Amino acid sequence: MGKSLLHTPEGVRDIYGEEYARKLFIEQKLHETIKRYGYRDIQTPTFEFFDVYSREIGTTPSSQLYKFFDKEGNTLSLRPDFTPSCARCAAKYFMDETGPIRLTYSGNTFLNTSSLQGKRGEVTQMGAELMMEPSVRADAEMICLVIDALKDCGLTDFQITVGEVEYFKGLCAQAGLEGEVELSLRDFISAKNYFGAQELLERQKVRKDYAKVLLRLADMVLGASDLSEARLVQNERSLQAVERLEQLYRVLQQYGAEKYVSFDLGLLSKYNYYTGVIFKGYTYGVGDAIVTGGRYDSLLSYFGKRGPAIGFMVVVDDLMEALSRQNLAPRIREDGLLALYEEEAFPDALRYAQEQRAKGICVELSPVKDRAEAERFAAVRKGNSVILFPAEGTPQSIGTE
Amino acid sequence: MDEKRYLTFALTKGRLAAKTLSLLEQAGITCEEMRDKESRKLVFVNEEQRLKFFLAKGPDVPTYVEYGAADIGVTGKDELLEEGRRVYEVLDLGFGKCRMCVCGPARAGELLQHHEMIRVATKYPVIAKDYFYNKKHQTVDIIKLNGSVELGPIVGLSDVIVDIVETGSTLRENGLEVLEEICPLSARMIVNRVSMQMETERIKALILKLRGLLAEEPQQEPVPRALPYT
Repeated sequence: MGKSLLHTPEGVRDIYGEEYARKLFIEQKLHETIKRYGYRDIQTPTFEFFDVYSREIGTTPSSQLYKFFDKEGNTLSLRPDFTPSCARCAAKYFMDETGPIRLTYSGNTFLNTSSLQGKRGEVTQMGAELMMEPSVRADAEMICLVIDALKDCGLTDFQITVGEVEYFKGLCAQAGLEGEVELSLRDFISAKNYFGAQELLERQKVRKDYAKVLLRLADMVLGASDLSEARLVQNERSLQAVERLEQLYRVLQQYGAEKYVSFDLGLLSKYNYYTGVIFKGYTYGVGDAIVTGGRYDSLLSYFGKRGPAIGFMVVVDDLMEALSRQNLAPRIREDGLLALYEEEAFPDALRYAQEQRAKGICVELSPVKDRAEAERFAAVRKGNSVILFPAEGTPQSIGTE
Repeated sequence: MDEKRYLTFALTKGRLAAKTLSLLEQAGITCEEMRDKESRKLVFVNEEQRLKFFLAKGPDVPTYVEYGAADIGVTGKDELLEEGRRVYEVLDLGFGKCRMCVCGPARAGELLQHHEMIRVATKYPVIAKDYFYNKKHQTVDIIKLNGSVELGPIVGLSDVIVDIVETGSTLRENGLEVLEEICPLSARMIVNRVSMQMETERIKALILKLRGLLAEEPQQEPVPRALPYT
């Protein structure tokens, strides 16, 4: 056996040393920012009944969930994300609450993805949910919270792209598209596949003027202030969506956050889940969005509570990768003391260590044979200041340049 | 103002790269360095326009683009279907046209009419699986080969093959024919999702320009139709 036990299964890995210190630091930063907006921590179980993540409620295909059984034969699943659990909690503990509920969570999530695609099976997600607050100001709070959190982690060059799924749904309803056709059109548009969308619309004999507006979606990445082009539609549902984005933009301006935001009405992912505003955060260094979020006003009703909700989620591991690719990863100082002692000097060394620890200084206490060994030790631990308690004589510091 | 970021193109080695470059040239994008056939460079740079180019194997192009190692890529639709990477597929470039087909000896046509288990040899297991499972609802045993797939039915390894058909001449010479067409293929331009959002103006301008060019001179290349074997 021996060596064959050393490596981890595909998709999971160990994170240790400085990398883990950085990760903890980033998590702490994100958490502080979210707390500053008044969100309360919640911890939900790592696994739940499979039904909590079922097709109607969750966004993860069942084939990608880790599933197993309990003793009674119930199907359980490791969480692929936190949102359904938060919705369940809101329904369970805040059933009669009518005012806003603010929750924040953090933890590892699990996906059973296909092999050799370089996808991770376990990532840390941190996010927040704002429930029972339907206004456009809730949408803006979420987006600005994301912007603040990313800035606090040291990211400078990033962008939040905002869409509104109702816009597309309105256009489809008007053009008489539904079911499978609507879904394949959605796939083409969210993949920005203009040609594919064009071909589909021609095959479905969609009226030319409707088709033209739908096709523009595949192209439409608008500058923040320019939604006028999107107003060129003649259905109430889509116009209301544009109206909502315009209101949102005005609130974002009040936050002073508008320069990080752009609009893309072709942003349609997880479309059956989101019911209004939807957004993603992009930055250089990783291939896809590091933040996803949006409004899902029908989710709570699956758990028996009526009410609107909006949330976002940061994939901490992706954020870490982006930061290190952009050379923005935080430097973590290992500023502890390393106290080395020759065996006879242990009582002195211990007394010293305890004094320092009482002052809040980190002290690592280790035995050495002689000064030569202490020097080798000090050479490996460049970041620490090293002090040696020899068997005879006074303590001496080692290897400080 | 700081230097503009490089836009990186991943092109598929071979014929596709040559055609892509000549199309890009019409759109005002050039790379002098790439014309030097003697060059052993792996990455070619156009400093003035802040562009980089590199050549890769077809199936790897979507991978480079998904991870953002390249902002833009050009590769065949077959590779996109097979790899299933999350990228924006923004343009059908209209060249490199061919079809993904189920092929075999004429008598194998009968095997496709029922839901019986058959053996399928292919370089494209994902496409083959999707076609037989989700479109035809037929249980099949898929054998992945890495080249000369036509050998499969000839030497008795498989009943049929799933492969790209351009003119069909290789098939005919070996007593095989197209039994069913899965989908038409051609070269596609793909864009990384982050690049599309972060470099919207430059990439959008390029796409619109290329789309204009493609609309001006449509279909220089006729869709090759494989002649039925006689």
